[in-house]
Amino acid sequence: MQKRRVERIDKSKRPGSLPYIWKKISKNPGAMAGLILLCLFIVMSFVSPYFMKSYSEVDMRDRFATPSWEHPFGCDEIGRDIMSRVFYGARYTLSIGVGAVFLAATVGIFLGAIAGYSGGIVDSVLMRLMDILQSIPGLVSSIAVVTALGPGLINCIIAIGISYMPQFARLIRANILGIRGSEFIEAATIINCSTGRIIFKHLIPNSISPIIVQISLMIAQAGLTASTLSFLGLGVKEPMPEWGSMIAGARNYIRDFPHMVIIPGIFIMLTVLSLNLLGDAIRDALDPKLKD
Amino acid sequence: MPDIIEIKNLKKYFNTRRGTVHAVDDVSFKIVAGSTMGLVGESGCGKSTLGRTLVHLYESTSGQILFQEKDVTRLNKNQTKALREEMQMIFQDPFSSLNPRMTVKATVQEPLLLSGKYKKEELDEATFHVMEQVGLEKRFQHSFPHELDGGRRQRVGIARALAVNPKFIVCDEPVSALDVSIQAQILNLLMDLQEKQDLTYLFVTHNLSVVRHISDYICVMYLGQLVETCPTKELFNNPMHPYSGALLSAVPSTNIHQKRARIILKGEISSPINPKPGCRFAKRCLYADDRCRGSKIELDEITPGHFVACCKAREIRENGTGAV
Amino acid sequence: MDNTEKATEVLAVRDLVVEYSSDGMPVHAVNGVSFDLAAGKTLGLVGETGAGKTTIAKTIMRILPDHAVRKVEGQVLFKGEDIRAISEVVMRKVRGKQISMIFQDPMTALNPVKTVSEQIAESIRLHQGGNKKQAHAKAVEVLEMVGISADRADEYPHQFSGGMKQRVVIAIAIACNPEVLIADEPTTALDVTIQAQVLELIDKIRRELNTALILITHDLGIVAEICDTVAVVYAGQIVETGSKEDIFDRPTHPYTRGLFAALPDMYKDVDRLSPIDGMPPDPTDLPKGCSFNPRCWYAADECKKDAISMTQVGTGHFCRCCRVDRIEV
Repeated sequence: MQKRRVERIDKSKRPGSLPYIWKKISKNPGAMAGLILLCLFIVMSFVSPYFMKSYSEVDMRDRFATPSWEHPFGCDEIGRDIMSRVFYGARYTLSIGVGAVFLAATVGIFLGAIAGYSGGIVDSVLMRLMDILQSIPGLVSSIAVVTALGPGLINCIIAIGISYMPQFARLIRANILGIRGSEFIEAATIINCSTGRIIFKHLIPNSISPIIVQISLMIAQAGLTASTLSFLGLGVKEPMPEWGSMIAGARNYIRDFPHMVIIPGIFIMLTVLSLNLLGDAIRDALDPKLKD
Repeated sequence: MPDIIEIKNLKKYFNTRRGTVHAVDDVSFKIVAGSTMGLVGESGCGKSTLGRTLVHLYESTSGQILFQEKDVTRLNKNQTKALREEMQMIFQDPFSSLNPRMTVKATVQEPLLLSGKYKKEELDEATFHVMEQVGLEKRFQHSFPHELDGGRRQRVGIARALAVNPKFIVCDEPVSALDVSIQAQILNLLMDLQEKQDLTYLFVTHNLSVVRHISDYICVMYLGQLVETCPTKELFNNPMHPYSGALLSAVPSTNIHQKRARIILKGEISSPINPKPGCRFAKRCLYADDRCRGSKIELDEITPGHFVACCKAREIRENGTGAV
Repeated sequence: MDNTEKATEVLAVRDLVVEYSSDGMPVHAVNGVSFDLAAGKTLGLVGETGAGKTTIAKTIMRILPDHAVRKVEGQVLFKGEDIRAISEVVMRKVRGKQISMIFQDPMTALNPVKTVSEQIAESIRLHQGGNKKQAHAKAVEVLEMVGISADRADEYPHQFSGGMKQRVVIAIAIACNPEVLIADEPTTALDVTIQAQVLELIDKIRRELNTALILITHDLGIVAEICDTVAVVYAGQIVETGSKEDIFDRPTHPYTRGLFAALPDMYKDVDRLSPIDGMPPDPTDLPKGCSFNPRCWYAADECKKDAISMTQVGTGHFCRCCRVDRIEV
């Protein structure tokens, strides 16, 4: 019998699986840089309170201090150390980004899958709801929801999540429409799969690749929106060191003490850049057409 | 021998924007238990639709389906569930008929799991047992479809159908997508399984050589209607419907020394949407005349066990003209 | 090969080797293929999926996907000149005009937004010049040759059935009277009654235009119908070649004989088919020695060592098997 490489299945050769994605990402220098940076931010966000000054410790003698050895990123208008603030603040941008997209994806996939598989009136109603949501610009609808619910981390997540939901719903619905008539779905019906099982075990797993790509790209966007909301005073409020609100607070001093605006701005930029690079690499890894 | 399947005047129509598609139009036949009924025809003849209607993937428009002499035409959810453990289907494309994200073991185990008849500890053993029956080695249990070749994938599909011990299986072109050398393996497997487990097959195909090898009886379909049905050898030795004759003569033969008269049909197959009354083959038939375009042509038993839906079949037979 | 044959030989392929790269692994698609084709004759390239037949065709036409190809060696002599060595600019004049190809799937081979006469006229204008009107008139002529009436010349592909679409594809291929026509599984996607029509058409055209035809197929029945010579392809190599009579009456290579034994016959009753054991080889990991040895019931140690060369078993009949004289034919 001819020797077959099935003997020891090399998981990293299996497109779409985690080892495969990792292998592809590890070859992409931009994505690796982004990944390392993100990991660094996450770690620093949790670790910094233990060896740095508290982010809310006020010291009026250090007002507007420019970057120095003692305060590597300087201080803000009431003497709080900017470095500990930006490191701590990473958790807001990242958690809102991840949380909002996770919410949007979960609810969006659920609704979109039901719409795609059921067709008919259920599909129409659900999609019109999505149309309504999508017709309002994302930022505007987020602002509206946050205004209604009040500021805060969770409300931010909900607000942004709702505005991103239609995209996921549409994406999964389109994919499901494409594979709904496949023979393996007919086969699933014939072996007595319930509708729920067909949707969750057969349809969704096979439509998930573009969703994963979308998720990774939208976390960046959600993080940016979070900063924007906070900048407008609607998101995470003082004294929480959310990067957007840090920039808002430093708005008036931009001419004399630009470091107060530039530093948080750079961090926002680096985070969004890293998430984008990572998202692009994941998309390339999951795209079968780009195989060699 | 009892009949395991009987269909009477089965119709399946689809409503589309352009009109009603008469996919299956008033078809009746019986399948004897333990035998293989071959269902042949070209694309658009309705054979695949018929197969899927039998297993309740589609709901029939009218007519009757009898399984082991019980009427199973209209069933509720629970009855359908029960029926699906007796009637199963093997699909054509060994790639698209398997969930690309499920391993071989998961695919074969799913019907066992859903039947509710096995305890958790028994599932694995039952799964390996079925895999063994279809010649799938245990070492493939964690493989995904794209890691296997066409022949093995098709074995997975067969295992899945066999898992619940059905009595009747609709095989929808199970070897058409396979290479010749693998095709033979799968055909042998299907025949062995039939003998060991006393299965009955409805073998849907457009490949006449394959159907000759595997089936006991044949039904020839054209544009939704049954045009000829008889025991297999009868059809090949003595095709009586002009379409059957043309179909047989169109198949290229590997016998290079025997020049056969080719019946080349003129024109194209007409549309199954709102078809005109009368014989649907008349447009392309060499023998057609006005009688053929009148009312529906019924099946006529020309010789015992050999039914033909052609109003001129007796004449053609007497005059000696025919197909091959 | 005697001199009279060489004189009418319009296409000669010598030691063709093609290697792809897929996911970092080398795919040995074609491993040393040589054959000749005389004007007006039909060569059947028979083999199963993955044997490399389409790759051979694409190499002759020089339409291989450049980014995936790692290595191409060998010669393709068209009327004595190696068309692998000419520039792409010159090749463009050959492709479509002197060597033409019919692809397998008529559904995707046609441009859905152009009428059928436009698509044929495009080829004519490109290779033969002339203005739009002349090209259109010639296109209608070609359509009639393939059995499509002039009043359908300005319709779009979606208005035709599968068989008619394939006729249009054939029309595009023959519009400039090519000397070599390569048909890659031209009837696989068609119903058997339409297949008969299309094969008959291809044969008729070959006779009228005296075109040399390479017919790629996995169906031995089709080969029996219209081919003059046959080459059986397995794992990127020709394992047996000869006239139609040689291959059908005296198949020698175990793979060829296995193929015939595995075929169900419409007019014979066989209890069990004799399939070929095992699976087709993995082109990234071909067996050592003879590629067929893991599945061959005659295989011996000598089959697993070195590359096997062709042995002559009759006039014009060659077989790539080192044990051929020991097999009872």
